Amino acid sequence: MTVRRVVAGLAALLRKRRLDAELDSEILAHLELAQRDAVARGLSPEEARRAARLSFGGIEKMKEEHRDRRGFPWMETLLRDFSYGLAAVRRAPAFSAVVVGVLALGIGANVGMFSVVDAVLLKPLPFAAPERITGVWEAPRPGIVNATSAPDFLDWQRLATVFETLSAEQSISADLSGTGEPARLSGKEVTAGYFQVFTAHMQFGRTFTPDDGRPGAAAVIVLSHAAWQNYFAGDPDILQRRPILDGASHLVIGVLAPGAFDRDETRFWKPLIFTSDQLATRNVHWLTVYGRLRDGVTITQARERMSAIHTAMTEGAPKEDREAAIDVEPLERLLVGDGLQRSMTVAFGAVTLVLLIACANVANLLLAKGATRRRELAVRAALGAGRSRLVGQLFTESLVLCLLGGIAGVAVAALLLALARPVLADSIPFTAAVSLDFRVLAFAGAVALGVALLAGTLPALRMAFGNLAQGLNGSARGSSGAHSRMRRAIVVGEVALSLVLVSGALLLLRSLLKLQGLDTGIRIDHVITMSVDLPVGAYRTPPQAALFYQAAAGRLQAAPGVAQAGLSTTLPLEWISNGEAMQVPGVEKLVHIRFKRVDPGYFRTLGIPVLAGRGITAADIDGATRVMVINQALATRLADVAGYRDPIGKKVRVSCPGYVEKRVFLPEIEIAGVIRSERVASPGYPDPPVVYVPLAQAPTPRIKLVVRTRTEPGAEMPAIRQAIREIDASLPLGDVATMQQVRERTLSGASRPAWLIGVFAAISVLLAAIGLYGVVAHVVTQQRREIGIRMALGAGSGDVVSRVLRNALSMVAVGLAFGMAGAFALTRVIKSLLFEVSPLDPAALAIACATMTLIGLFAGLVPASRAARVDPVTTLRDEG
Amino acid sequence: MSKQQNEVPYGTLDLLILKTLETLGTLHGYAIARRIEHVSGDDMQLSQGSVYPALIRLQQEGWIATDWGISETNRKVKFYSLTEAGRKQLRVEVAKWEKATALVTRFLRATS
Repeated sequence: MTVRRVVAGLAALLRKRRLDAELDSEILAHLELAQRDAVARGLSPEEARRAARLSFGGIEKMKEEHRDRRGFPWMETLLRDFSYGLAAVRRAPAFSAVVVGVLALGIGANVGMFSVVDAVLLKPLPFAAPERITGVWEAPRPGIVNATSAPDFLDWQRLATVFETLSAEQSISADLSGTGEPARLSGKEVTAGYFQVFTAHMQFGRTFTPDDGRPGAAAVIVLSHAAWQNYFAGDPDILQRRPILDGASHLVIGVLAPGAFDRDETRFWKPLIFTSDQLATRNVHWLTVYGRLRDGVTITQARERMSAIHTAMTEGAPKEDREAAIDVEPLERLLVGDGLQRSMTVAFGAVTLVLLIACANVANLLLAKGATRRRELAVRAALGAGRSRLVGQLFTESLVLCLLGGIAGVAVAALLLALARPVLADSIPFTAAVSLDFRVLAFAGAVALGVALLAGTLPALRMAFGNLAQGLNGSARGSSGAHSRMRRAIVVGEVALSLVLVSGALLLLRSLLKLQGLDTGIRIDHVITMSVDLPVGAYRTPPQAALFYQAAAGRLQAAPGVAQAGLSTTLPLEWISNGEAMQVPGVEKLVHIRFKRVDPGYFRTLGIPVLAGRGITAADIDGATRVMVINQALATRLADVAGYRDPIGKKVRVSCPGYVEKRVFLPEIEIAGVIRSERVASPGYPDPPVVYVPLAQAPTPRIKLVVRTRTEPGAEMPAIRQAIREIDASLPLGDVATMQQVRERTLSGASRPAWLIGVFAAISVLLAAIGLYGVVAHVVTQQRREIGIRMALGAGSGDVVSRVLRNALSMVAVGLAFGMAGAFALTRVIKSLLFEVSPLDPAALAIACATMTLIGLFAGLVPASRAARVDPVTTLRDEG
Repeated sequence: MSKQQNEVPYGTLDLLILKTLETLGTLHGYAIARRIEHVSGDDMQLSQGSVYPALIRLQQEGWIATDWGISETNRKVKFYSLTEAGRKQLRVEVAKWEKATALVTRFLRATS
């Protein structure tokens, strides 16, 4: 069929009335002409009229053919059925509302979830040729990735021809002043290649050139669009502004166009200028490197090339270094880790189950509705409607319902997304823009159609091909044979699916409770934390910083409302990203350790007990004997590798990062004590070996304050701020969070799918309850006559109730059996999301089964008691 | 597609209409029907009305154009005429028809 015909056909559908009128006038003219000619041939006017009619042929038949030829007859039928469908929706508002509501829940959950999956997993990353962007890491041991040093980065840049551009970066933060409210901004120091790797579009100005990164270059920054809006009120003259960052004036040379970077925490970028110290030091790993592969280069080729470079670079280096490798990972994999992908798969699986349950419900409701329409259909069939027309009409009616459900579902999805947005922002990568865009709407349409096919086909066929003649026969009410078997099967399936969801949700809930009760090894109540970054301009030397720590700890301790205060380089419960190496005398292999610097108050504030030796004291200052405290995990490790039964007093060498300069020292340090391990690894992972060094002996400008208050921690913040202000009025406190919040942040990765699936499980339980109730109630209505007879013959109302309940519970029991089988089959899927809970946890499965049984009981009880109140006389008289 | 049993050989009505319009120029529906009856003599029984479904389709394909005019009985009526595309289509149809009949003729001769 040509395009022209399609367009003309559609136009003909729209101009139906006019075309019909035109045809009528043509026929009239035709008959007149024929009559005139016949009269001319000598016929009487009466005969002439008859002759004209005769030679014209059947008028109505021709008109019908005319309509069929000019348009699409099936489409006219469809439109007609559609308006029937809408009329049917209006005729039964309660029924339609239930169906649309059920579908809105099922479709809404799916559409919402799809929009997240689409944004995170399906859509390409919002950069040009994103598949060519990779992270480049050192891999000191297999499975471990590490940042790199400045000279290594420059070597890579020189040698790695597989990359079009390589960029190095380090995260920084700076105090912004001179624009009103002082604020602490996250930023990045980057090399000139950064904006070529991440192809940024500019609102104004330019990005960095290699000249911006040379020593002595002017201080310049690039702002994100969000930062320009929030901190500079979208000032169009921003390129003339010189905002003050950490006390130094900077020239804004560019503002990014709105986009993915606005969802990231980075607000500004600054050229990374290597100092001569940094250029000379290979053993400090501080740069994160990303690269843009040349067109056509595969990841495998890049990996091969980088390992060749590594071999060349480490020739003659110690064995330890030669064993290391360079790893190249696609950006996509770095952004979406295995954990996120797994959670999303499970969550999407859960919403699919919800949708299936909704489908089952709708199919059931349609079947129930169909049972009451058998008479109507039988009459229509008797009047000559073909089976295919009946199926078509019934199907179109369910399609109307599904489309309405789909529209309502999109509204539900919008609501769900609005509610989930704050949580979502934390758990998905900044590159993912979640929105109800065209793709998502198309998905919603497809789901609505799919539901119509799944839930509408069976009832339509069932009704149209059932024994229609029986429908006319009033006595056919009552037992309904195959019809009710199918509905029972659907309910059984529904119960099974719900059981899978509910048990899954319970497993995740138990896992969540386990996490809540997880022994973190520290006291977290009444503890508030915050960060302080000492500006290096004002605190030039380590002793100056050490003096500040001592003063800060002292002031805080003295502040009213503060019980204890401590300082450390990383917050408790947070992963210690600083990894160092320990040289134990007589042991060839290095011991890899995590490195944390704390002040004397730290262990006390968090209630971490000292198991052997001593903690860190005020006497451990610069110039005194270098000491360290180790955790239990390290003590065990040292016992293994060096045979230290009692590590106290033993002297080992540990690589220590410098104050600001990117350099490490390898001092000899005495082990002064062993503490009970505090949790720093994710739940489910063993504690790593940790070395605690006195902050005063190895100062650093970036520090965290941990304060235990006597009352509500938030209420003491003014006093805490005042205490710090008394030492240095220009220091802002950043990242204020209670320890409870820190704990939730670090453990929440595991808890998120739990509440999500909990919501879906609740929806599915609700749907299953509706489905069960619908079927049982319907069966009871159908059997009113039978129940009436039984009661007339002397059956008590108790008998009737128990019969109905038995009926309901038998369906539930079969459903539970299938559901258990399903749950067993899915153990592997959910296992990875559980923490210290078996996927076949008997308690969870038992509670899930009990829940479903209770629902079955309630769903049966209402119709059952109604049945028992039936007056036999009324039912037996009722012929309707 | 058509439920009607045409007395006209199947699929040829379009061809007959196009040829009629090519020969006689602009005509209304009655005149087209009469002309086809006239040319085919009494060999073919045509329900005159069946030209109208054919006409609307040819019009939708863009092979014929319509114009309103006044009939001999002073009534407003549609007049049909061949378009350039219609002229081309007629040539195609004629060629097709000739090819088909030639084939059938050859076939009948070969078996007889």
